[in-house]
Amino acid sequence: MLVTDEALMRAVREGDLSCLGTLFDRYHRVLFDFLSRMTGSRHVAEDLVQDVFLRLLKYRGTYRDDARFETWVYRIARNARADYYAKRDKGLPLNDEALESPDAGPGPESELEHERDSELLRAALLQLREDRRELLILARYQEMKHDAIAELLGVDPGTVKVRIHRAVKELRDTYLRLVEKPSCNPKTTQRTLSMI
Amino acid sequence: MQPEDNSTNPIDDLAGSLGETERREFEDTWAKLGEIPAMRVDSDGMRARFRQMLVAEQPKQKRNLLGEWLKNYLPLKPVLQACAALLLVLIGIQVGRETRPVVQPAAVPEVRELSQEVRDLRQMVTLSLMQQESAAERLKGVSWSNQLQSPGNEVVAALIDTLMHDGNVNVRLASIDALKRFSERDVVRNATLQALGTQTSPLVQMALIDFVVETQDRQAIDTLRRLSSDDKLDATVRARAKWGIGHLEAA
Repeated sequence: MLVTDEALMRAVREGDLSCLGTLFDRYHRVLFDFLSRMTGSRHVAEDLVQDVFLRLLKYRGTYRDDARFETWVYRIARNARADYYAKRDKGLPLNDEALESPDAGPGPESELEHERDSELLRAALLQLREDRRELLILARYQEMKHDAIAELLGVDPGTVKVRIHRAVKELRDTYLRLVEKPSCNPKTTQRTLSMI
Repeated sequence: MQPEDNSTNPIDDLAGSLGETERREFEDTWAKLGEIPAMRVDSDGMRARFRQMLVAEQPKQKRNLLGEWLKNYLPLKPVLQACAALLLVLIGIQVGRETRPVVQPAAVPEVRELSQEVRDLRQMVTLSLMQQESAAERLKGVSWSNQLQSPGNEVVAALIDTLMHDGNVNVRLASIDALKRFSERDVVRNATLQALGTQTSPLVQMALIDFVVETQDRQAIDTLRRLSSDDKLDATVRARAKWGIGHLEAA
C-alpha cells in the first residue's frame, strides 16, 4: 500500500529523515519542471529544488497535520524562487546560460517548423505576467487540480478557472503577435523581460 | 505524488461560457502548450546533491531536535529560566528544612554557603531584570531589589543608574523608593542630589524632594532654593521645593 505524502511528511517532522528521500524521489522531477519553466534555467531550477528540500527539512516542524503536502511543497517552491530573484541583482540581465532551450534532438525538416512554433509559444509564455505564467504552468504541466491551485494561491476555485481562461487567451494573442514578427528572437525577448 | 482523479483542462468547466470559436482557440492553445518540451532533469545528479545535503544537515537537525525538546520544557527567556532555577533551589531548601531530622553541625557551613549562593542568584536575577528592554521587567527588577536582604554595591549602583538614565518615569520613581533603604550611604545621597538638579520630570522631581526631606539631607537646601526660584519649572514642583526648604531648615 502506497504511503501518502502527508504520512511521509509527518514522519519527517517527527524525526525520521529517511522519509525525506522518498518525498524527494516523488517530487524532485515535478518541482524541477515547475521551476525550470518558471525560471527558464536548468541550473537555477536544480539549485532551487535543493533549496526547497533544505527548507522542507528546516521548517518541517511547521507542517500541519491537516495540510496537503503538495500544496505545502509548492508554496515552499514559490517562496524559494521569489527569494532567489529578490536576492539577485535586478539590474543584471540573465546570461545566455539562463536562457536554455528545452532539450530537443535534431529531427527531420518537417519537425523544424513545429520546433520553431514551440519555441515561439515558449517565448510567449515567458512574456506573460508572472502570476499568469505560473498559473498556466501549474495547471498544464504540473497537472494540479483547480482546488489545489486555489488553495496554493489563496483564491477560490472559480477564480482559478476564470484566470486560466484569461491567461490562455492572452498567451494566444502574444503567440500570434510573435508569429507575425518572424525576426523575433525568443531569447532576446526573455532577456528584455528579465530586465523589467 | 497522489494520483490525479479529475481533468485539469479548464475548458470542460468553461465550455458553457465560451462560443464555438473561442472554445476552439482555447483548445488549440492548450494543446500547443502541452507540446513545449520539458528540460531534461538530471535525477542522478540531483539525488546525489540531495543526499549530500541530507548528510550535512543531519547532525544539525539532531541538535535542533534537542533544542526543540528543550524549548518545549524550559521557559524561553533567560530571566525566567533563572527565576525557575531560583524557585527550584528555594523549594529544595524548604523541603530540606522540613525533612531534616537533626541539624548536623558539620553541615552548617554548607547551608551557609548554599544560602549565600541563593542570595547571589537572587541578586543576579534582580540585576538582570533591571537591564531588560521591557519597562515592566525593569520595574519588576527594581521591586525585587527591595526583597534582597543585604544587597551588594552592584545593586545600589544599578538603582542609581536607573534613577539617572532610565527612560521610563515609573521605573525612575520606583528606583527612588528602592534607594531609600540605602540613604545612609554617601553615594546614594550624592546621586539623589545630582538627580534633583538634572531630572526634568515633575513627578520625579517631587519624589526626589520628598526623598531629601525624608532623609533630612540638608545639603539639598541650595538645590531646592534653585528649584523654587526657577520660573520654568512646574508650579507644583516649585511649591514642593519651598515646602522642602522649610522642613529641612526647621530640622
